Amino acid sequence: MPQKLRCEVTRILDHGERVYSVFLKPETQAPRFRPGQFLHLTLDEYQHGDFWPDSRPFSIASPPSERSLLRITYAVKGRFTSRMEMELHAGRQVWIKLPYGEFTVSPRNAACLLAGGTGMTAFTAFLSGLEADYPHPVYLFYGARRPDLLVYRTLAEAAARSCPNLRVCFLAEQGDASTDYRRGRIDLDVVWKSISDPLNVTYYLSGPPGMLQGLKAGLGQRKVADGRIMVDAWE
Amino acid sequence: MSRDVKLRAEILKLVEEYYQERFAGRSFDPARDTVHYAGRVFDADELVKLVDSSLDFFLTASRYSDQFEAEFAEYFGLASAFIVNSGSSANLVALTTLTSPKLGDRRLRPGDEVVTVAAGFPTTLSPILQNQLTPVFVDVNLGDYTAIPARLEEAIGPKTRAIAMAHTMGVPFDLDTVLRLARKDHLWVVEDNCDALGARYRGQLTGTFGDISAVSFYPAHQMTMGEGGCVLTGDELLGHIARSLRDWGRDCYCAGGESNTCGKRFSQQFGTLPYGYDHKYVYSHIGYNLKVTDMQAAVGVAQLGKLDRFIARRKANFQKLYALLEKHQDRLILPQATPHSDPSWFGFVITVRQDAGFTRNELTRFLEDNRVETRNLFSGNLLRQPAFIGIPHRVVGDLTNTDAITERTFFIGVFPGIDDAQLEYIDSVFERFMGGERVS
Repeated sequence: MPQKLRCEVTRILDHGERVYSVFLKPETQAPRFRPGQFLHLTLDEYQHGDFWPDSRPFSIASPPSERSLLRITYAVKGRFTSRMEMELHAGRQVWIKLPYGEFTVSPRNAACLLAGGTGMTAFTAFLSGLEADYPHPVYLFYGARRPDLLVYRTLAEAAARSCPNLRVCFLAEQGDASTDYRRGRIDLDVVWKSISDPLNVTYYLSGPPGMLQGLKAGLGQRKVADGRIMVDAWE
Repeated sequence: MSRDVKLRAEILKLVEEYYQERFAGRSFDPARDTVHYAGRVFDADELVKLVDSSLDFFLTASRYSDQFEAEFAEYFGLASAFIVNSGSSANLVALTTLTSPKLGDRRLRPGDEVVTVAAGFPTTLSPILQNQLTPVFVDVNLGDYTAIPARLEEAIGPKTRAIAMAHTMGVPFDLDTVLRLARKDHLWVVEDNCDALGARYRGQLTGTFGDISAVSFYPAHQMTMGEGGCVLTGDELLGHIARSLRDWGRDCYCAGGESNTCGKRFSQQFGTLPYGYDHKYVYSHIGYNLKVTDMQAAVGVAQLGKLDRFIARRKANFQKLYALLEKHQDRLILPQATPHSDPSWFGFVITVRQDAGFTRNELTRFLEDNRVETRNLFSGNLLRQPAFIGIPHRVVGDLTNTDAITERTFFIGVFPGIDDAQLEYIDSVFERFMGGERVS
C-alpha cells in the first residue's frame, strides 16, 4: 500500500555522463514493493496534510528485500533531474511516496527484457531475486551509450551466473570493439535470432522514449501480440 | 519549533488531559449500569490521533489512511487493503470485484450461483442480489452457526461460481471443505470476515484464505473506526478492481488531490475516448464512492495497535462466561468453535432449547429488564425478512436450524469493555431467571 516517507540521501554515485545513483534511507521501513515498481521523489518541502508537491517517478532499483535502503538511478534530461543533480547530496532530506506500478515480469512464461540506459532499473530488482531454478528462459538485452554506462552490468552478470535460464547481452553505442559487448543499439534482428521461440515470449521494454517507440513498432511488425509487449513508459 | 507545531503539541496534550477527565477510570455499578453487548473501547491515543488528523484538515484519505492500509495489509500478510466506509461496503466491493470485465471468462455474470447461508447479516447477501447473482442457501449448525459442510457439497451445481459466507459471530466456517470445493470446481471464495477479525483456522488468519475478504470496523466489532470497513486481497488484479470500485469506478489510482502518480496521465488509450484523455477521468467500472475520511482512519491506526489485546480479552471473557453458564446447558445451547478453529468471538451466542420450558423472548426480556443487553443473531432467516421475500434463490435441503435461530437464538457481549464484575452480574441475572423469576 502506498506510503509517503521522509528519507535521507545517504550516498550519491556519479556514473559519469550526468548519470547518478541515489541511495535513500527512509525514516521508517518502506512498504513492501514488487520488482519493477516505482517511487515518486519530490525535492520540495512536504508536510502531512499538504498537497503532494511536484515529483517524478523513478524505478526502485534495489531489491524488495532491502526496504531500509532504496536505490534509484537517473540521467539528467530535463528541469526536474537538473534540480536533482544540483540539490541532492548526502545528508539531504527528501520525501518519497511508494510503491506504484504494474511493470512486473510475469513468472508464468519466458521473458525478454529490453533495457536502455537507466531504464535498466525497472529490471534490477527482478534480476536480483532470480533463483537458480527459475523455470522459464529470461533474455536480457541491456544497452547504453558507452560501456561504462552499463551501470548494472555487474548485477546482471552475477544474476546470469546464479540462474542458468538467464541469458544476457550487453550493447554500447560508442566505444572500442570488444568481446564484452556488442556495438550499437538493441537490434530486433539480433534479439529474434537469440530466442528459440520469439512469438511465445513476453517482451518488457524500458528505456528512452525513442527506443520504446522503435522497439514496440518493430515487435508489432514481427507479429508479436499486443498482450506480449509490456512498455514501461512515463511522460 | 514553529508556532503551529508548538500549538499542535499543546492541543494534543490537552486532549490527553480531556480523556482522563471525561472517559478514564469508570467502573461498573451493578445497581445502575447496563452490560452492553458491544461498544467502543479506547484510550487517549484514539482521541489524540483523531484530533491530530483533524488539525491536518485534509479531511479525505491521507496519511492516516495510508498508514492504516499499509499496517492492516501487513497484519494479514496480504498485498492489498482498501479502507471503505463500512463492512457492508467491503462486502459490496468484494463481491462486485468478481464481476469485473477485467477478469475475462472468470468474471461472475448475472444468473451465476453463489453458495451462502440465510442465517446472518443482510449485507453478506445483498451484494449477491445487487449483482443479479442467484444465492444458494444451505442450513447451518446450531452451536457454531456456520454452514453444514455436507450441505455445501450438495449445493454445488453447474451454475455455481462462488462461495460467499461470513465467519458468523467470529467462528471460522469449515475452510477445509470450502477450499476443497473451490479448487475442484474453480469457484471464487469471498470471506465475509466482518465478525471475525483475528480468528484463525489451522493457525492462519481468516480473511486470508479466500480470493477476497471483508472486515468491519463498526463499534460492535473487534476494533472500530466508528463507521468503517476494509477489503483485503492477495491478488494484485483483484486489488486494482476493488480500489476502482471503491473510488467511483475510475481507472486512475492517484490519491485524493494528487495527479499523474502513474506517470501516464495524458498518454494512454481507453475505450473510444480520444488518445491521451485525462486518466483521472477514465472509468473502467461502474463504481461507488465508498471512501473514508482520514479522521476515521486515524482512530483505526490507534485501534489496530490494540487489536491483539482486544481479541485476547474477548477470548478470555468468552471462556469465563462459558464457565459461568455451562450449568444451564440442559436448557441452553452454548456456543462452540468449529474443528481446527480459534474463533475471535463477536459475542456469546445462545440458543434456547426447544424443551427449555421458556422462550427466547422471555429470557431476553428478563435480561434486558435487568440491564443485560441482548441481540438476536442478526436477521435470523433472511428469507423471512420483508426485503428478501420473493428473491430468486435456491435452497439445498431445508433451513430447519436457520429457522430455529430465528425463533430461539440471541447473543450477549464478550467485548473488551466487559470486566469480571459484569460477567458475574450476567451470571447472577441468569441464575435468577433459571430459578423461575420472570418480568411481571
